[in-house]
Amino acid sequence: MPEDLLPNQLLTARGLEAGYPGKQILFGVDLAVAPAEVVVLLGANGSGKSTALNTLSGFVRPWAGSIRFEGAEIAGRPPHRIFRRGIVQVSQARDLFPDLTVEDNLRLGAWARGGAVDALAEDVFRSFPRLAERRRQMVRLMSGGEQQMVAIGRALMGRPKLLLLDEPSGGLAPVFVKEIAAIIAELKRRAIAMVIVEQNIKLALSIADRFLILRDGRVTQRQDIRAGAADEQDIVRSIYL
Amino acid sequence: MPRLRVTRRLFWLVPLALLPLPLYLDQYRQYVVNLMLMYVPVGIGFNVVVGNLGLLAFSNVAFFGIGAYTSGVLALKLGVPWWLTILPAGLMGALAGCAAGIPALRGVRLFYLAIMTLAFGELLRWVYIRWVPVTGGSFGMSVPPPSVFGWTLETEGHKFYVFLVLVVLMVVLTDRVLRSRFGRAFMAIKDNELAAAAMGIPTDRYILLAFAWGGFVVGIGGSMYAALVGHVTPIAFDLTELILEFAVIMVGGLGSLLGSVIGAAVITAAPEFFREWLGFQELLFGLLIIAVILFLPRGLASLLARLHPVFVDRYYRD
Ligand SMILES: Nc1ncnc2c1ncn2[C@@H]1O[C@H](COP(=O)(O)OP(=O)(O)OP(=O)(O)O)[C@@H](O)[C@H]1O
Ligand SMILES: [Mg+2]
Repeated sequence: MPEDLLPNQLLTARGLEAGYPGKQILFGVDLAVAPAEVVVLLGANGSGKSTALNTLSGFVRPWAGSIRFEGAEIAGRPPHRIFRRGIVQVSQARDLFPDLTVEDNLRLGAWARGGAVDALAEDVFRSFPRLAERRRQMVRLMSGGEQQMVAIGRALMGRPKLLLLDEPSGGLAPVFVKEIAAIIAELKRRAIAMVIVEQNIKLALSIADRFLILRDGRVTQRQDIRAGAADEQDIVRSIYL
Repeated sequence: MPRLRVTRRLFWLVPLALLPLPLYLDQYRQYVVNLMLMYVPVGIGFNVVVGNLGLLAFSNVAFFGIGAYTSGVLALKLGVPWWLTILPAGLMGALAGCAAGIPALRGVRLFYLAIMTLAFGELLRWVYIRWVPVTGGSFGMSVPPPSVFGWTLETEGHKFYVFLVLVVLMVVLTDRVLRSRFGRAFMAIKDNELAAAAMGIPTDRYILLAFAWGGFVVGIGGSMYAALVGHVTPIAFDLTELILEFAVIMVGGLGSLLGSVIGAAVITAAPEFFREWLGFQELLFGLLIIAVILFLPRGLASLLARLHPVFVDRYYRD
Protein backbone atom coordinates (compact mmCIF):
# COMPACT_ATOMS: atom_id res chain seq x y z
CA MET A 1 0.00 0.00 0.00
CA PRO A 2 1.44 3.41 -0.93
CA GLU A 3 2.34 5.46 2.11
CA ASP A 4 -0.22 8.12 1.25
CA LEU A 5 -3.13 5.73 1.67
CA LEU A 6 -2.55 5.16 5.36
CA PRO A 7 -5.23 6.17 7.83
CA ASN A 8 -5.28 9.53 9.69
CA GLN A 9 -5.17 11.49 6.49
CA LEU A 10 -6.94 14.80 6.04
CA LEU A 11 -8.06 13.79 2.58
CA THR A 12 -8.04 10.42 0.89
CA ALA A 13 -9.11 10.01 -2.73
CA ARG A 14 -9.24 6.50 -4.12
CA GLY A 15 -9.79 5.21 -7.62
CA LEU A 16 -10.90 8.56 -9.00
CA GLU A 17 -12.25 8.36 -12.52
CA ALA A 18 -13.45 11.57 -14.08
CA GLY A 19 -13.69 13.39 -17.37
CA TYR A 20 -15.91 15.35 -19.69
CA PRO A 21 -18.76 14.14 -21.88
CA GLY A 22 -17.37 11.39 -24.09
CA LYS A 23 -13.81 11.78 -22.82
CA GLN A 24 -12.33 10.14 -19.76
CA ILE A 25 -9.38 12.05 -18.27
CA LEU A 26 -8.62 10.43 -14.90
CA PHE A 27 -8.16 6.67 -14.72
CA GLY A 28 -8.13 5.54 -11.10
CA VAL A 29 -6.17 8.25 -9.34
CA ASP A 30 -5.25 7.67 -5.69
CA LEU A 31 -4.16 10.66 -3.67
CA ALA A 32 -3.97 11.46 0.00
CA VAL A 33 -2.99 14.49 2.02
CA ALA A 34 -2.02 14.39 5.68
CA PRO A 35 -2.69 17.36 7.94
CA ALA A 36 -0.21 20.19 7.28
CA GLU A 37 1.26 18.31 4.35
CA VAL A 38 2.14 19.81 0.97
CA VAL A 39 1.62 17.51 -1.99
CA VAL A 40 2.72 18.62 -5.43
CA LEU A 41 1.10 17.29 -8.57
CA LEU A 42 3.38 17.21 -11.59
CA GLY A 43 2.62 16.27 -15.14
CA ALA A 44 2.74 17.37 -18.75
CA ASN A 45 0.13 19.68 -20.27
CA GLY A 46 -3.16 17.86 -20.61
CA SER A 47 -2.21 15.07 -18.23
CA GLY A 48 -5.25 15.84 -16.07
CA LYS A 49 -3.79 17.87 -13.20
CA SER A 50 -6.45 20.58 -13.25
CA THR A 51 -9.14 17.97 -13.73
CA ALA A 52 -7.89 16.20 -10.61
CA LEU A 53 -8.05 19.39 -8.53
CA ASN A 54 -11.46 20.26 -9.93
CA THR A 55 -12.70 16.82 -8.97
CA LEU A 56 -11.55 17.38 -5.39
CA SER A 57 -13.26 20.77 -5.24
CA GLY A 58 -16.47 19.50 -6.80
CA PHE A 59 -16.37 21.41 -10.07
CA VAL A 60 -15.91 18.14 -11.93
CA ARG A 61 -18.10 15.25 -10.83
CA PRO A 62 -16.18 11.98 -10.45
CA TRP A 63 -17.53 9.06 -12.45
CA ALA A 64 -16.21 6.60 -9.92
CA GLY A 65 -14.09 6.48 -6.81
CA SER A 66 -14.32 8.03 -3.40
CA ILE A 67 -13.04 11.20 -1.76
CA ARG A 68 -13.03 11.25 2.01
CA PHE A 69 -12.32 14.53 3.74
CA GLU A 70 -12.09 14.52 7.53
CA GLY A 71 -13.92 11.22 7.52
CA ALA A 72 -16.86 12.37 5.36
CA GLU A 73 -17.50 11.27 1.79
CA ILE A 74 -17.52 14.33 -0.47
CA ALA A 75 -17.29 12.79 -3.94
CA GLY A 76 -20.03 14.22 -6.15
CA ARG A 77 -21.08 16.91 -3.68
CA PRO A 78 -21.65 20.39 -5.12
CA PRO A 79 -18.72 22.85 -4.93
CA HIS A 80 -20.33 25.12 -2.35
CA ARG A 81 -20.75 22.21 0.11
CA ILE A 82 -17.16 21.13 -0.34
CA PHE A 83 -16.02 24.71 0.16
CA ARG A 84 -17.93 24.86 3.43
CA ARG A 85 -16.00 21.85 4.69
CA GLY A 86 -12.78 23.77 4.18
CA ILE A 87 -11.44 22.77 0.78
CA VAL A 88 -10.68 25.99 -1.05
CA GLN A 89 -9.36 26.13 -4.58
CA VAL A 90 -7.42 28.76 -6.49
CA SER A 91 -8.13 27.73 -10.04
CA GLN A 92 -5.75 28.05 -12.96
CA ALA A 93 -7.91 30.87 -14.37
CA ARG A 94 -7.95 32.49 -10.90
CA ASP A 95 -11.65 33.30 -11.28
CA LEU A 96 -11.66 36.61 -9.50
CA PHE A 97 -14.44 39.19 -9.36
CA PRO A 98 -12.93 41.57 -11.91
CA ASP A 99 -15.25 44.54 -11.41
CA LEU A 100 -15.00 44.52 -7.64
CA THR A 101 -12.28 45.99 -5.49
CA VAL A 102 -9.53 43.98 -3.84
CA GLU A 103 -11.31 44.45 -0.53
CA ASP A 104 -14.65 43.17 -1.81
CA ASN A 105 -12.95 40.20 -3.45
CA LEU A 106 -11.40 39.31 -0.11
CA ARG A 107 -14.64 39.76 1.79
CA LEU A 108 -16.49 37.50 -0.62
CA GLY A 109 -13.88 34.87 0.18
CA ALA A 110 -15.31 34.80 3.70
CA TRP A 111 -18.93 34.73 2.52
CA ALA A 112 -19.56 31.05 3.12
CA ARG A 113 -17.45 30.29 6.16
CA GLY A 114 -17.88 33.57 7.99
CA GLY A 115 -15.53 34.48 10.80
CA ALA A 116 -14.16 37.85 11.76
CA VAL A 117 -14.09 39.22 8.23
CA ASP A 118 -12.25 42.46 8.97
CA ALA A 119 -9.58 40.75 11.05
CA LEU A 120 -9.11 38.09 8.36
CA ALA A 121 -8.75 40.80 5.71
CA GLU A 122 -6.20 42.73 7.74
CA ASP A 123 -4.27 39.51 8.17
CA VAL A 124 -4.21 39.03 4.40
CA PHE A 125 -3.12 42.63 3.91
CA ARG A 126 -0.26 42.06 6.32
CA SER A 127 0.90 39.06 4.29
CA PHE A 128 0.41 40.94 1.00
CA PRO A 129 1.47 44.58 1.54
CA ARG A 130 1.14 45.09 -2.21
CA LEU A 131 -2.59 44.40 -1.89
CA ALA A 132 -2.97 46.69 1.10
CA GLU A 133 -1.77 49.59 -1.04
CA ARG A 134 -4.37 48.72 -3.63
CA ARG A 135 -7.31 47.72 -1.49
CA ARG A 136 -9.78 50.02 -3.24
CA GLN A 137 -8.57 49.17 -6.72
CA MET A 138 -10.68 47.22 -9.16
CA VAL A 139 -9.15 43.79 -9.66
CA ARG A 140 -9.36 43.90 -13.44
CA LEU A 141 -6.86 46.76 -13.41
CA MET A 142 -4.19 44.78 -11.60
CA SER A 143 -1.22 42.91 -12.99
CA GLY A 144 -1.20 39.15 -13.31
CA GLY A 145 0.99 38.75 -10.27
CA GLU A 146 -1.17 41.01 -8.16
CA GLN A 147 -4.25 39.14 -9.30
CA GLN A 148 -2.67 35.88 -8.22
CA MET A 149 -2.10 37.44 -4.80
CA VAL A 150 -5.74 38.48 -4.63
CA ALA A 151 -6.74 34.93 -5.58
CA ILE A 152 -4.59 33.39 -2.85
CA GLY A 153 -5.58 36.04 -0.32
CA ARG A 154 -9.24 35.48 -1.09
CA ALA A 155 -8.80 31.73 -0.66
CA LEU A 156 -7.26 32.36 2.77
CA MET A 157 -10.35 34.37 3.73
CA GLY A 158 -12.22 31.05 3.59
CA ARG A 159 -9.98 29.72 6.39
CA PRO A 160 -9.02 26.65 4.35
CA LYS A 161 -8.14 23.34 5.91
CA LEU A 162 -6.95 22.20 2.52
CA LEU A 163 -5.82 24.64 -0.12
CA LEU A 164 -5.75 23.59 -3.77
CA LEU A 165 -3.44 25.76 -5.87
CA ASP A 166 -3.45 25.32 -9.64
CA GLU A 167 -0.21 26.67 -11.13
CA PRO A 168 0.23 29.56 -8.72
CA SER A 169 3.34 30.73 -10.60
CA GLY A 170 1.79 30.28 -14.04
CA GLY A 171 2.44 33.18 -16.39
CA LEU A 172 4.17 35.32 -13.77
CA ALA A 173 7.41 37.29 -14.03
CA PRO A 174 10.36 35.95 -11.98
CA VAL A 175 9.94 38.63 -9.28
CA PHE A 176 6.39 37.55 -8.69
CA VAL A 177 7.26 33.87 -8.80
CA LYS A 178 9.66 34.52 -5.93
CA GLU A 179 7.06 36.44 -4.00
CA ILE A 180 4.43 33.75 -4.52
CA ALA A 181 6.92 31.07 -3.48
CA ALA A 182 7.61 32.97 -0.27
CA ILE A 183 3.89 33.23 0.42
CA ILE A 184 3.36 29.52 -0.11
CA ALA A 185 6.29 28.76 2.18
CA GLU A 186 4.67 30.98 4.81
CA LEU A 187 1.37 29.12 4.44
CA LYS A 188 3.25 25.87 4.91
CA ARG A 189 4.74 27.23 8.14
CA ARG A 190 1.19 27.98 9.24
CA ALA A 191 0.47 24.26 8.76
CA ILE A 192 -2.11 24.68 6.00
CA ALA A 193 -2.33 21.47 4.01
CA MET A 194 -1.99 22.02 0.28
CA VAL A 195 -2.21 20.25 -3.04
CA ILE A 196 -0.27 22.27 -5.57
CA VAL A 197 -0.11 21.84 -9.31
CA GLU A 198 3.10 23.43 -10.50
CA GLN A 199 5.06 23.47 -13.76
CA ASN A 200 8.04 25.21 -12.20
CA ILE A 201 9.80 22.12 -10.86
CA LYS A 202 12.39 24.01 -8.83
CA LEU A 203 9.65 25.90 -7.03
CA ALA A 204 7.59 22.74 -6.68
CA LEU A 205 10.37 20.75 -5.08
CA SER A 206 11.31 23.59 -2.74
CA ILE A 207 7.89 23.50 -1.07
CA ALA A 208 6.76 19.89 -1.47
CA ASP A 209 6.72 17.19 1.15
CA ARG A 210 5.75 14.68 -1.48
CA PHE A 211 5.11 14.75 -5.18
CA LEU A 212 3.04 12.71 -7.59
CA ILE A 213 3.52 12.51 -11.33
CA LEU A 214 0.40 12.27 -13.42
CA ARG A 215 0.57 10.91 -16.92
CA ASP A 216 -2.47 10.56 -19.16
CA GLY A 217 -4.67 10.51 -16.09
CA ARG A 218 -2.72 7.92 -14.14
CA VAL A 219 -0.26 8.34 -11.29
CA THR A 220 3.03 6.98 -12.62
CA GLN A 221 5.30 7.95 -9.77
CA ARG A 222 5.00 9.09 -6.17
CA GLN A 223 7.83 10.05 -3.89
CA ASP A 224 8.38 11.46 -0.44
CA ILE A 225 11.17 14.04 -0.58
CA ARG A 226 11.33 14.97 3.09
CA ALA A 227 14.08 12.38 3.59
CA GLY A 228 16.23 13.37 0.66
CA ALA A 229 16.03 15.68 -2.31
CA ALA A 230 14.85 14.29 -5.62
CA ASP A 231 16.84 14.64 -8.81
CA GLU A 232 15.33 17.32 -11.00
CA GLN A 233 16.57 15.79 -14.24
CA ASP A 234 15.04 12.45 -13.29
CA ILE A 235 11.69 14.05 -12.62
CA VAL A 236 11.67 15.97 -15.88
CA ARG A 237 12.43 12.72 -17.66
CA SER A 238 9.60 10.84 -16.02
CA ILE A 239 7.15 13.64 -16.74
CA TYR A 240 7.87 14.06 -20.40
CA LEU A 241 9.48 10.89 -21.70
CA MET B 1 -17.19 56.05 8.92
CA PRO B 2 -19.85 56.96 11.47
CA ARG B 3 -20.56 60.25 9.72
CA LEU B 4 -21.94 58.32 6.78
CA ARG B 5 -24.34 56.35 8.91
CA VAL B 6 -25.80 59.48 10.41
CA THR B 7 -26.37 60.99 7.00
CA ARG B 8 -28.11 57.86 5.73
CA ARG B 9 -30.75 58.45 8.40
CA LEU B 10 -31.50 61.74 6.72
CA PHE B 11 -33.20 59.78 3.95
CA TRP B 12 -36.15 59.49 6.33
CA LEU B 13 -36.74 63.19 5.81
CA VAL B 14 -37.85 62.52 2.26
CA PRO B 15 -41.08 60.65 3.08
CA LEU B 16 -41.70 63.03 6.00
CA ALA B 17 -41.35 66.05 3.73
CA LEU B 18 -43.86 64.49 1.35
CA LEU B 19 -46.56 64.12 4.02
CA PRO B 20 -48.29 67.50 3.45
CA LEU B 21 -48.33 67.01 -0.32
CA PRO B 22 -52.05 66.17 -0.66
CA LEU B 23 -52.89 69.59 0.81
CA TYR B 24 -51.35 71.29 -2.20
CA LEU B 25 -52.21 69.02 -5.10
CA ASP B 26 -55.40 68.66 -7.10
CA GLN B 27 -56.77 65.17 -7.73
CA TYR B 28 -55.03 64.81 -11.09
CA ARG B 29 -51.60 65.86 -9.87
CA GLN B 30 -52.03 63.68 -6.83
CA TYR B 31 -52.84 60.79 -9.16
CA VAL B 32 -49.57 61.40 -11.01
CA VAL B 33 -47.65 61.40 -7.74
CA ASN B 34 -49.34 58.14 -6.77
CA LEU B 35 -48.33 56.72 -10.12
CA MET B 36 -44.73 57.66 -9.34
CA LEU B 37 -44.98 55.87 -6.02
CA MET B 38 -46.39 52.81 -7.74
CA TYR B 39 -43.45 52.67 -10.14
CA VAL B 40 -40.98 52.64 -7.26
CA PRO B 41 -41.55 48.98 -6.27
CA VAL B 42 -42.00 48.07 -9.94
CA GLY B 43 -38.54 49.51 -10.63
CA ILE B 44 -36.96 48.14 -7.47
CA GLY B 45 -37.93 44.55 -8.21
CA PHE B 46 -36.80 44.81 -11.83
CA ASN B 47 -33.50 46.33 -10.74
CA VAL B 48 -32.78 43.57 -8.22
CA VAL B 49 -32.87 40.97 -10.99
CA VAL B 50 -31.31 42.95 -13.83
CA GLY B 51 -29.09 45.39 -12.00
CA ASN B 52 -28.01 43.55 -8.87
CA LEU B 53 -28.12 39.91 -9.93
CA GLY B 54 -27.12 40.91 -13.45
CA LEU B 55 -29.39 38.61 -15.43
CA LEU B 56 -31.10 39.79 -18.61
CA ALA B 57 -34.60 38.85 -17.51
CA PHE B 58 -37.55 40.73 -18.96
CA SER B 59 -40.39 39.11 -17.08
CA ASN B 60 -41.03 42.15 -14.90
CA VAL B 61 -44.32 43.01 -16.51
CA ALA B 62 -45.47 39.47 -15.73
CA PHE B 63 -44.89 39.98 -12.01
CA PHE B 64 -46.60 43.36 -12.23
CA GLY B 65 -49.63 41.88 -13.97
CA ILE B 66 -49.87 38.92 -11.60
CA GLY B 67 -49.88 41.30 -8.65
CA ALA B 68 -52.59 43.47 -10.19
CA TYR B 69 -54.75 40.50 -11.16
CA THR B 70 -54.32 38.86 -7.75
CA SER B 71 -55.57 41.98 -6.01
CA GLY B 72 -58.28 42.50 -8.60
CA VAL B 73 -59.62 38.96 -8.51
CA LEU B 74 -59.51 38.70 -4.70
CA ALA B 75 -61.29 42.04 -4.31
CA LEU B 76 -63.87 41.64 -7.05
CA LYS B 77 -64.67 37.92 -6.95
CA LEU B 78 -64.12 37.14 -3.28
CA GLY B 79 -64.83 40.53 -1.74
CA VAL B 80 -61.51 40.66 0.07
CA PRO B 81 -60.70 44.24 1.18
CA TRP B 82 -57.82 45.64 -0.87
CA TRP B 83 -55.30 45.94 1.94
CA LEU B 84 -55.58 42.21 2.60
CA THR B 85 -54.78 41.49 -1.05
CA ILE B 86 -51.42 43.27 -0.97
CA LEU B 87 -49.45 40.42 0.59
CA PRO B 88 -51.05 37.73 -1.61
CA ALA B 89 -50.24 39.91 -4.64
CA GLY B 90 -46.62 40.04 -3.53
CA LEU B 91 -46.54 36.30 -2.91
CA MET B 92 -48.02 35.54 -6.32
CA GLY B 93 -45.42 37.88 -7.79
CA ALA B 94 -42.72 35.93 -5.96
CA LEU B 95 -44.14 32.67 -7.29
CA ALA B 96 -44.11 34.07 -10.83
CA GLY B 97 -40.55 35.22 -10.13
CA CYS B 98 -39.51 31.68 -9.26
CA ALA B 99 -41.19 30.36 -12.40
CA ALA B 100 -39.46 32.96 -14.56
CA GLY B 101 -36.15 32.11 -12.89
CA ILE B 102 -36.25 28.41 -13.74
CA PRO B 103 -34.64 28.75 -17.20
CA ALA B 104 -31.82 30.69 -15.53
CA LEU B 105 -31.22 27.72 -13.23
CA ARG B 106 -30.90 25.55 -16.30
CA GLY B 107 -28.01 27.74 -17.42
CA VAL B 108 -29.97 29.90 -19.87
CA ARG B 109 -28.29 33.31 -20.11
CA LEU B 110 -28.12 36.53 -22.10
CA PHE B 111 -30.32 36.80 -25.19
CA TYR B 112 -31.72 33.33 -24.67
CA LEU B 113 -32.86 34.25 -21.18
CA ALA B 114 -34.14 37.61 -22.43
CA ILE B 115 -36.37 36.03 -25.04
CA MET B 116 -37.60 33.26 -22.74
CA THR B 117 -38.56 35.72 -20.02
CA LEU B 118 -40.27 37.95 -22.58
CA ALA B 119 -42.23 34.92 -23.73
CA PHE B 120 -43.21 34.26 -20.12
CA GLY B 121 -44.81 37.72 -19.89
CA GLU B 122 -46.67 37.20 -23.15
CA LEU B 123 -47.81 33.77 -21.98
CA LEU B 124 -49.39 35.34 -18.92
CA ARG B 125 -51.09 37.93 -21.10
CA TRP B 126 -52.59 35.08 -23.06
CA VAL B 127 -53.90 33.66 -19.78
CA TYR B 128 -55.43 37.03 -18.79
CA ILE B 129 -57.20 37.20 -22.14
CA ARG B 130 -58.42 33.59 -22.24
CA TRP B 131 -59.33 32.88 -18.65
CA VAL B 132 -62.44 35.01 -18.99
CA PRO B 133 -64.45 33.81 -15.96
CA VAL B 134 -61.66 34.88 -13.61
CA THR B 135 -59.91 37.74 -15.39
CA GLY B 136 -62.71 39.24 -17.43
CA GLY B 137 -60.82 38.59 -20.67
CA SER B 138 -59.72 41.39 -22.97
CA PHE B 139 -61.96 43.94 -21.29
CA GLY B 140 -60.49 43.17 -17.91
CA MET B 141 -62.25 43.84 -14.65
CA SER B 142 -63.22 46.76 -12.52
CA VAL B 143 -61.78 46.64 -9.04
CA PRO B 144 -63.92 47.92 -6.15
CA PRO B 145 -62.59 51.06 -4.44
CA PRO B 146 -59.64 50.15 -2.25
CA SER B 147 -60.12 49.98 1.48
CA VAL B 148 -57.80 49.76 4.45
CA PHE B 149 -58.97 48.55 7.88
CA GLY B 150 -62.56 49.10 6.78
CA TRP B 151 -61.86 52.65 5.56
CA THR B 152 -62.45 53.28 1.89
CA LEU B 153 -59.73 55.27 0.20
CA GLU B 154 -61.99 57.79 -1.48
CA THR B 155 -59.52 60.39 -2.68
CA GLU B 156 -56.15 60.23 -4.36
CA GLY B 157 -54.77 61.82 -1.20
CA HIS B 158 -55.92 58.85 0.88
CA LYS B 159 -54.27 56.42 -1.52
CA PHE B 160 -51.13 58.52 -1.36
CA TYR B 161 -50.59 57.86 2.33
CA VAL B 162 -51.06 54.11 2.01
CA PHE B 163 -48.79 54.02 -1.03
CA LEU B 164 -46.15 56.04 0.77
CA VAL B 165 -46.08 53.51 3.60
CA LEU B 166 -45.79 50.63 1.14
CA VAL B 167 -43.03 52.33 -0.82
CA VAL B 168 -41.00 53.15 2.28
CA LEU B 169 -41.43 49.56 3.43
CA MET B 170 -40.26 48.14 0.10
CA VAL B 171 -37.28 50.50 -0.07
CA VAL B 172 -36.18 49.73 3.49
CA LEU B 173 -36.63 45.97 3.12
CA THR B 174 -34.82 45.83 -0.21
CA ASP B 175 -32.02 47.94 1.23
CA ARG B 176 -31.72 45.35 4.00
CA VAL B 177 -31.70 42.49 1.52
CA LEU B 178 -29.07 44.09 -0.69
CA ARG B 179 -26.80 44.93 2.23
CA SER B 180 -27.03 41.45 3.71
CA ARG B 181 -25.20 38.32 2.63
CA PHE B 182 -28.01 37.87 0.08
CA GLY B 183 -27.05 41.07 -1.68
CA ARG B 184 -23.39 40.16 -1.53
CA ALA B 185 -24.19 36.83 -3.15
CA PHE B 186 -26.11 38.68 -5.92
CA MET B 187 -23.11 40.97 -6.42
CA ALA B 188 -20.75 38.00 -6.65
CA ILE B 189 -22.97 36.14 -9.10
CA LYS B 190 -23.31 39.24 -11.25
CA ASP B 191 -19.57 39.73 -11.44
CA ASN B 192 -18.46 36.15 -11.99
CA GLU B 193 -20.81 33.26 -11.48
CA LEU B 194 -18.10 30.61 -11.50
CA ALA B 195 -16.04 32.52 -8.95
CA ALA B 196 -19.15 32.88 -6.80
CA ALA B 197 -19.60 29.12 -6.79
CA ALA B 198 -15.90 28.70 -6.04
CA MET B 199 -16.37 30.91 -2.97
CA GLY B 200 -19.00 28.55 -1.63
CA ILE B 201 -22.06 30.49 -2.78
CA PRO B 202 -24.94 28.20 -3.81
CA THR B 203 -25.56 30.20 -6.96
CA ASP B 204 -28.80 28.48 -8.01
CA ARG B 205 -30.44 29.19 -4.69
CA TYR B 206 -29.49 32.86 -4.78
CA ILE B 207 -30.57 33.32 -8.38
CA LEU B 208 -33.98 31.96 -7.42
CA LEU B 209 -34.08 34.16 -4.32
CA ALA B 210 -33.34 37.29 -6.36
CA PHE B 211 -36.15 36.44 -8.77
CA ALA B 212 -38.48 35.71 -5.86
CA TRP B 213 -37.71 38.97 -4.09
CA GLY B 214 -37.94 40.93 -7.34
CA GLY B 215 -41.28 39.28 -8.12
CA PHE B 216 -42.55 39.97 -4.61
CA VAL B 217 -41.80 43.68 -4.70
CA VAL B 218 -43.13 44.11 -8.23
CA GLY B 219 -46.23 42.11 -7.31
CA ILE B 220 -46.94 44.64 -4.59
CA GLY B 221 -46.56 47.35 -7.22
CA GLY B 222 -49.20 45.45 -9.19
CA SER B 223 -51.52 45.53 -6.22
CA MET B 224 -51.02 49.29 -6.04
CA TYR B 225 -51.91 49.47 -9.72
CA ALA B 226 -55.23 47.74 -9.07
CA ALA B 227 -56.01 50.23 -6.30
CA LEU B 228 -54.87 53.28 -8.23
CA VAL B 229 -56.33 52.65 -11.67
CA GLY B 230 -59.33 50.62 -10.53
CA HIS B 231 -59.37 48.67 -13.74
CA VAL B 232 -57.15 45.71 -14.62
CA THR B 233 -56.80 44.80 -18.30
CA PRO B 234 -54.34 42.66 -20.27
CA ILE B 235 -53.20 45.61 -22.38
CA ALA B 236 -51.74 47.30 -19.31
CA PHE B 237 -49.10 44.58 -19.11
CA ASP B 238 -47.83 44.51 -22.67
CA LEU B 239 -44.39 45.10 -24.16
CA THR B 240 -44.83 48.88 -24.18
CA GLU B 241 -45.30 48.77 -20.43
CA LEU B 242 -42.23 46.56 -20.11
CA ILE B 243 -40.13 49.06 -22.04
CA LEU B 244 -41.36 51.85 -19.79
CA GLU B 245 -40.35 49.83 -16.73
CA PHE B 246 -36.97 49.13 -18.30
CA ALA B 247 -36.56 52.88 -18.87
CA VAL B 248 -37.22 53.42 -15.16
CA ILE B 249 -34.17 51.42 -14.12
CA MET B 250 -31.95 52.51 -17.01
CA VAL B 251 -32.61 56.21 -16.40
CA GLY B 252 -32.45 55.82 -12.64
CA GLY B 253 -29.36 53.64 -12.59
CA LEU B 254 -28.83 49.91 -13.02
CA GLY B 255 -28.18 48.13 -9.75
CA SER B 256 -29.01 51.19 -7.67
CA LEU B 257 -31.87 51.23 -5.20
CA LEU B 258 -31.84 54.99 -5.16
CA GLY B 259 -31.83 54.83 -8.95
CA SER B 260 -35.07 52.85 -8.99
CA VAL B 261 -36.73 55.58 -6.93
CA ILE B 262 -35.39 58.41 -9.05
CA GLY B 263 -36.18 56.58 -12.29
CA ALA B 264 -39.76 55.96 -11.20
CA ALA B 265 -40.23 59.63 -10.41
CA VAL B 266 -38.61 60.95 -13.59
CA ILE B 267 -40.17 58.52 -16.03
CA THR B 268 -43.63 59.15 -14.59
CA ALA B 269 -43.27 62.91 -14.30
CA ALA B 270 -41.55 63.62 -17.60
CA PRO B 271 -44.59 63.11 -19.88
CA GLU B 272 -46.55 65.50 -17.67
CA PHE B 273 -43.94 68.20 -18.20
CA PHE B 274 -43.85 67.57 -21.92
CA ARG B 275 -47.63 67.93 -22.17
CA GLU B 276 -47.18 71.61 -22.93
CA TRP B 277 -45.37 70.81 -26.18
CA LEU B 278 -48.34 69.12 -27.76
CA GLY B 279 -47.36 66.80 -30.58
CA PHE B 280 -43.78 66.54 -29.43
CA GLN B 281 -44.34 64.68 -26.17
CA GLU B 282 -43.14 61.27 -27.32
CA LEU B 283 -40.19 62.82 -29.10
CA LEU B 284 -39.08 64.75 -26.03
CA PHE B 285 -39.62 61.74 -23.80
CA GLY B 286 -37.50 59.59 -26.09
CA LEU B 287 -34.79 62.22 -26.28
CA LEU B 288 -34.69 62.50 -22.50
CA ILE B 289 -34.11 58.76 -22.15
CA ILE B 290 -31.46 58.74 -24.84
CA ALA B 291 -29.68 61.74 -23.33
CA VAL B 292 -29.55 60.25 -19.86
CA ILE B 293 -28.30 56.87 -21.04
CA LEU B 294 -25.77 58.49 -23.37
CA PHE B 295 -24.29 60.91 -20.88
CA LEU B 296 -24.96 59.00 -17.67
CA PRO B 297 -24.64 55.31 -18.45
CA ARG B 298 -25.00 54.56 -14.73
CA GLY B 299 -28.17 56.60 -14.56
CA LEU B 300 -29.23 59.68 -12.64
CA ALA B 301 -28.26 58.02 -9.36
CA SER B 302 -24.62 58.15 -10.44
CA LEU B 303 -24.93 61.92 -10.61
CA LEU B 304 -25.90 62.03 -6.95
CA ALA B 305 -23.21 59.51 -6.05
CA ARG B 306 -20.68 62.00 -7.33
CA LEU B 307 -22.08 64.68 -5.01
CA HIS B 308 -21.82 62.78 -1.76
CA PRO B 309 -20.81 59.25 -0.69
CA VAL B 310 -24.11 58.81 1.12
CA PHE B 311 -25.71 58.28 -2.29
CA VAL B 312 -23.35 55.45 -3.19
CA ASP B 313 -24.95 52.04 -3.05
CA ARG B 314 -23.01 49.87 -0.65
CA TYR B 315 -23.12 46.17 -0.07
CA TYR B 316 -21.11 46.38 3.11
CA ARG B 317 -21.88 48.44 6.19
CA ASP B 318 -19.09 50.82 6.99
N1 LIG C 1 -14.31 21.54 -19.70
C1 LIG C 1 -13.69 20.63 -20.50
N2 LIG C 1 -14.39 19.98 -21.46
C2 LIG C 1 -13.78 19.07 -22.24
N3 LIG C 1 -12.49 18.71 -22.14
C3 LIG C 1 -11.75 19.34 -21.20
C4 LIG C 1 -12.30 20.32 -20.33
N4 LIG C 1 -11.33 20.75 -19.50
C5 LIG C 1 -10.22 20.06 -19.83
N5 LIG C 1 -10.47 19.21 -20.86
C6 LIG C 1 -9.49 18.28 -21.45
O1 LIG C 1 -9.04 17.40 -20.44
C7 LIG C 1 -7.66 17.13 -20.61
C8 LIG C 1 -6.92 17.37 -19.31
O2 LIG C 1 -7.03 18.74 -19.00
P1 LIG C 1 -6.48 19.39 -17.68
O3 LIG C 1 -6.85 20.81 -17.70
O4 LIG C 1 -6.91 18.57 -16.52
O5 LIG C 1 -4.91 19.21 -17.89
P2 LIG C 1 -3.71 19.86 -17.08
O6 LIG C 1 -2.86 18.73 -16.68
O7 LIG C 1 -4.21 20.76 -16.03
O8 LIG C 1 -3.02 20.70 -18.23
P3 LIG C 1 -2.23 22.11 -18.15
O9 LIG C 1 -0.87 21.82 -17.64
O10 LIG C 1 -2.20 22.59 -19.55
O11 LIG C 1 -3.01 23.02 -17.26
C9 LIG C 1 -7.19 17.99 -21.77
O12 LIG C 1 -7.08 17.17 -22.91
C10 LIG C 1 -8.27 19.00 -21.94
O13 LIG C 1 -8.43 19.36 -23.29
MG1 LIG D 1 -4.16 22.76 -15.71
